[in-house]
Amino acid sequence: MPWPVYLAFKQLFPSGRRVPFFTLISVAGVGLGVALMLVTMSVMGGFGHQIKKMIIDTQGEVQVKARVLLDQPAAAAVEKVLAASPDVQAFAPYASGMVMLEYQSRPAFPAIQGFDYAQMKKVVPLERYLTAGSLDNLDDDSIILSSLLARSLGVRVGDVVSLYSPLALERARQNELLLPRDVLVAGIFHVGHQQLDSSTVLCSLRLMQDLYGLEQRVHGYNVRLKPGADEYAAAAALNRQLPAAARALTWFEANADFQAVLAFERNMIFFLLTFIIVVAAFSITSSLLVTVVRKTREIGLLGAMGGRARHVAACFCVQGLFIGVAGTALGLAGGFALLHFRDDLVGFIARLTMGPEAFAKFYQFSSLPAHTLPLDVMIIIVFSVLASTIAGLIPAWRAAKLQPVEALRSE
Amino acid sequence: MNVRKTYPSGDRTLAVLQGADFSISAGETVSIRGESGSGKSTLLNILAGLDRADSGELFWGAEAAHKLSLGELTARRGRFLGLVFQSYYLIPELDAFANVLMGARMIGGIGAAEKARAEALLKRVGLAERATHLPTQLSGGERQRVAVARALMNRPRVILADEPTGNLDERTGEEVISLLLEVCAEEQTALVLVTHNPGHAARCARHLLLQAGRFA
Repeated sequence: MPWPVYLAFKQLFPSGRRVPFFTLISVAGVGLGVALMLVTMSVMGGFGHQIKKMIIDTQGEVQVKARVLLDQPAAAAVEKVLAASPDVQAFAPYASGMVMLEYQSRPAFPAIQGFDYAQMKKVVPLERYLTAGSLDNLDDDSIILSSLLARSLGVRVGDVVSLYSPLALERARQNELLLPRDVLVAGIFHVGHQQLDSSTVLCSLRLMQDLYGLEQRVHGYNVRLKPGADEYAAAAALNRQLPAAARALTWFEANADFQAVLAFERNMIFFLLTFIIVVAAFSITSSLLVTVVRKTREIGLLGAMGGRARHVAACFCVQGLFIGVAGTALGLAGGFALLHFRDDLVGFIARLTMGPEAFAKFYQFSSLPAHTLPLDVMIIIVFSVLASTIAGLIPAWRAAKLQPVEALRSE
Repeated sequence: MNVRKTYPSGDRTLAVLQGADFSISAGETVSIRGESGSGKSTLLNILAGLDRADSGELFWGAEAAHKLSLGELTARRGRFLGLVFQSYYLIPELDAFANVLMGARMIGGIGAAEKARAEALLKRVGLAERATHLPTQLSGGERQRVAVARALMNRPRVILADEPTGNLDERTGEEVISLLLEVCAEEQTALVLVTHNPGHAARCARHLLLQAGRFA
């Protein structure tokens, strides 16, 4: 073992003595930062993963969107391409827009999506998200409401609500009166996504076409891919064959704005958490600088015994590196342990505060999601070890600058 | 040869060494005495290649050390010289055995031969039983004996000892000087002993007195 490495380890773990407080505190500081970063990034990843799953569950992996509308010949051409694709398992047409919904003089302006249930159930497992009513009762005179929308209006399954289409405005310009459409609430769904749960109405494709005067035209298709198919490759392959009136988008592209917000949040949290490790690195620098000052004469001795300046510097760099490696290993172990017991921990906090039921009600989860990306772990490892090693560079530079004769003379 | 060294002291220049000539043969023992400020430590630092003379020549054996860079001097110092200091300067995290072995470790690694030599040296200085003790567990005299063993580890041609008994009581100081002289004789190593103690100086084969930067 090269002597700078040997001496670095001996200074961190002296023979026959307990591990110095400085070593323990420095390793614990880095470990704490790494554990916190790992847990936070994994939980953020868990929420992101759940949202991805929810989006795919409600939209399919790929959406084929019309540039404006797909009339029957264009829709037939799209369906031909989809049916011939080796990646596509099922697809279902949809039409979507906005309506005004009224219940007992209380209005709401939700997004509405009409679909052919017989086809859509092969693409989207809607029944999984139904909290009341039944999809079997969905016909051209009924709708399904999202949970928060139903709650805000005070609507229950079996109530009748009125739908006002934007078509009414167009007719009004022609001095015609289009009456609202009274429909029955056949079910209520909840997917766990604020935006969808707060203002979405699902209905049959025919009802949607009637409300918007679309006749047989549709806005696009939800597409379910075969297991293992890559959504980006599949979308690219479909785009090579689809007519110009339609374009295939992956679930990610179709929700790019929302994904960008999620990614931004995640990156910001990562950025803020890095400061914990930076602070730990500063504490390493400070402690090692104190060591350099305390050991000035020993550093002089090393020079007098034939130790070159770069080797003396390496001795302190290795200490920073070791603290980084040990702290990172400790932090990863602690972080993964915390993630493993996260539900117990959340349960414990819930019991201490508002109770598990209230906790689940307010935060809308009873199990904390976690999804650890190998890339995140790699970034955390590299950043943490690098920061600790750089932290050792300043004291190393100070030590290397000391002239043996001056150092030996110091008091 | 003809070593001169000055230091700035406020607005003035302080001439510490003013043409000091010094040489030592293989296995010879030389003592250097002088009052405080006479330039003893400066001379020793220049001999050790830790400091540069303003002028003059320094030879380590046949090699013109004054022409070497500080880096080259550092690389050669570990093999050519052994150093013993007044304050021992043992590495506190290492036990006595590891401290002795450190000299070998720093000039190219250690094997069975080096370990055997370190054991033998510790035995020779009477500390075989205390090999695993840390410096804090040793007395001043024992620490200095470990320092002597460390200085001899790489079989240097010369040992430079800068007031090695300065921190020791009289009896322990005598023991350390005796030990130094004995082991240097056994190893055929030259010894330069800087001391204030006339009794210790008298035990060397040659005695020099440094006065106002010159040998009297």
